Amino acid sequence: MLDRTKQPEIKEIEKVDFLKPKVLPISEYTELYHISAVPNETCRLDLHFQAGSVTGKGIIPGTVNGLLLSGTNEKSAIKIASEIDALGGFFNSSASLEYAVLTIYCLRENLIPLFDIVMDAIQNVAFHEKEVKEYLSDKKQRFKINMGKVSFLAQMEYRKRIFSTHPDYAKTASLEDYDNVSIEDLQAFHQKHYLKGLSHVSLVGDVGDQELAHIIDAVKNMSRDQKIEFEKTIKNERGVFHVKKEGALQNAIRIGRTIFTKKHKDFIDFTILNTVLGDYFGSRLMSNIREDKGYTYGIGSFVMELKNTGYFTIGTEVRADVKDATIKEIKKEIERLQIELVSKEELDLVKNYIVGQVLKDSDGPFSQMDAFLNVRLQDMDLDFYNKAIQRTKEIKPEKIQEVARKYLNWEEMTIVSAG
Amino acid sequence: MIHFDEFQLENGLTVIFHKDHTTPMAVVNTLYKVGAIDEEEDKTGFAHLFEHLMFGGSIHIPNFDTPLQEAGGENNAFTSNDITNYYEVLPKENIEIALWLESDRMLSLAFTEKSLEVQRNVVIEEFKQRYLNQPYGDVWLELRPLAYKEHPYKWATIGKSIEHIENATMEDVKAFFKKFYSPSNAILSICGNFELNEIKALVHKWYSDIPAGEENQRKIPKEPQQTEFREKTIEREVPADAFYYAFKMCDKNSPEYVVTDLLSDLLGREKSSRLYVSLKKEMQLVSEISAYILGSLDEGLLIVSGKLNEGVCFEMLDEALWEELEKVKKEEISEEEMQKLLNKFLTAKAFEEQNILNRAMNLCYYKMLGDTNRINEETELYKKVTSKDILDVANDVLQKTKCSLLKVKAKNVR
Repeated sequence: MLDRTKQPEIKEIEKVDFLKPKVLPISEYTELYHISAVPNETCRLDLHFQAGSVTGKGIIPGTVNGLLLSGTNEKSAIKIASEIDALGGFFNSSASLEYAVLTIYCLRENLIPLFDIVMDAIQNVAFHEKEVKEYLSDKKQRFKINMGKVSFLAQMEYRKRIFSTHPDYAKTASLEDYDNVSIEDLQAFHQKHYLKGLSHVSLVGDVGDQELAHIIDAVKNMSRDQKIEFEKTIKNERGVFHVKKEGALQNAIRIGRTIFTKKHKDFIDFTILNTVLGDYFGSRLMSNIREDKGYTYGIGSFVMELKNTGYFTIGTEVRADVKDATIKEIKKEIERLQIELVSKEELDLVKNYIVGQVLKDSDGPFSQMDAFLNVRLQDMDLDFYNKAIQRTKEIKPEKIQEVARKYLNWEEMTIVSAG
Repeated sequence: MIHFDEFQLENGLTVIFHKDHTTPMAVVNTLYKVGAIDEEEDKTGFAHLFEHLMFGGSIHIPNFDTPLQEAGGENNAFTSNDITNYYEVLPKENIEIALWLESDRMLSLAFTEKSLEVQRNVVIEEFKQRYLNQPYGDVWLELRPLAYKEHPYKWATIGKSIEHIENATMEDVKAFFKKFYSPSNAILSICGNFELNEIKALVHKWYSDIPAGEENQRKIPKEPQQTEFREKTIEREVPADAFYYAFKMCDKNSPEYVVTDLLSDLLGREKSSRLYVSLKKEMQLVSEISAYILGSLDEGLLIVSGKLNEGVCFEMLDEALWEELEKVKKEEISEEEMQKLLNKFLTAKAFEEQNILNRAMNLCYYKMLGDTNRINEETELYKKVTSKDILDVANDVLQKTKCSLLKVKAKNVR
């Protein structure tokens, strides 16, 4: 008779295999990373530029990013889109704080023709007035829609406060920004950050040396001519901030502080602490605020890394009348981690969960490339991951408490709500 | 080509195994043939609420998530109008943990009052977060009852109203489990680097003692044929006027399904699609526009939706839209445009199949449709579509008398 109360034995993962991509130099400061072991015909090419939102004034960086395929003097936006679609390609561009990434997804036989179309479009983009106006009008509408969401309002306020010591990081858009964009500014930003701002290229796909040479040759002139430097120290503004929104059924909450990157000696320990607190379904915050009290559909915490600095955030949307109760419970959960030791059972569970996630996040060539980029951009190697696994397996409850006492002091937090 | 093996247990459980030797992970996917479609009209949102309760502990295991996380795995689930789908992704060495957990909650849930109470609240917050506290969040709550009069597609999976969720009782929960959560109403797929006999042994071990239960035969009210144009305008505090044209289309098993899918791509999938080029780029009427199908099992909807530019009224949009639709109904599309639609499909499909979880879910889904191997035949079906097929389906689907239009009018936004 099967005894269902008895849990099958769990086997621990000791080590995860990482695939080191081939590293090919493009110029003195830029490289191409290539993984060719792809089991089917899919291909992904990413061009990374030093063109994130902090690298320019106002909404200029995002606007240039959004207009890259808006037409050249020879080709209209429609023509470019039609050519990409005809080859079954997908193009995506996005700008985060520090970097901007352009991505082509396709089948490998179409990679080079698609790459050529995209390169021509981004190198020769003309910023036609009609296209610029249309883009800004669309974005203005989108911005107005977002202003109707408490999560967006809280996020904007949070960004202002968390990066308070650095205006380029702290800036947020306003409606007027969309009426005050000059084409000269777009051109100047494009010139500096795209035509001369390529940071690195990553390619996942089973393509040969000839294709690689073609890509390297084509992007050579766009390479940056110096090492990338981004802001090193940013401090959050401590305190409690609320953004009012009439008639909101829920309140959005963001709580956090600036912290460090994986280069810091406490990084791994802190991410383990973060997992215990709010980074998995069984976390302290989920168990208390969702599964016990039913205040929210979800609550979580995460660590976000930039080039030289990082920040830690707790985020949720809760029933409007329990905003204060929720913040109180979050504070309680953080203080519990500082006062009580995490039990061995809970910590073991978190350890296994984290290692399982490392295994999952390294599954498949696309994930392998992302894992590689995460360490490479911090000038680190893939051995970071197996060292992190070792450190995770060895960490003691006392260490979790120590890190919580060091970095999770309530009075050092930025506390933002909207609703 | 996705290779798979299929077998059935005596209690009616269907099992599909797909070997992938390249991954260190295993996926266990369980599809139950129950969705919002199976709900009573005065107890909507129940299939989805029930999905939440499936994580509240089962008969022998007090907590579902803890052992799975301990095994380095994670899980999630979703409910649609047609199905409820649960999955676990975990290191392959620990697959038995997933089978132990899933089989125990198929056997029976713990049915605690506390779990019901909390999950009612969680789902109500989900209702608010997704549908009520977002600009345009409630459009599906309005559009579905406009497009469907009899068929249960007339309500969204979240339910018609918060009251239905508030009123759910433990009695309802137990009856629902008994009726829908039996082996014969489920399809299990397992993917990873295993051998068939190994999987057979594990599945027999954990599932064969689960009683067969009653087989559930779906009796879904049929939607009468729509013969009139329907229109509804709602006013909301949103910054821009929005429109949703919903056209009745065939069910998932009809040969026209893939044709309709391509027709929606032709109209509004990409930045070179008909409606995007004409209504947005050339005429500057809209800030965004797209066309897509909902992918439902029974008679579904092809949607054309978007937002108006400032200074543009619904009438201008309507006239321009129908003019474009008429073109698609009059002229066969060129060889070149046909090839473009197919190429986009092929790329998207290749990326979708790359992902082991997608493969696991699709295997279960196609089995539910009647033939697992359709997962491998789908591409051929798309390749066979001709421009004449598209013309015929356009003429059949894009008719005013098959259309329900929801307009969201912006009112005094500050």
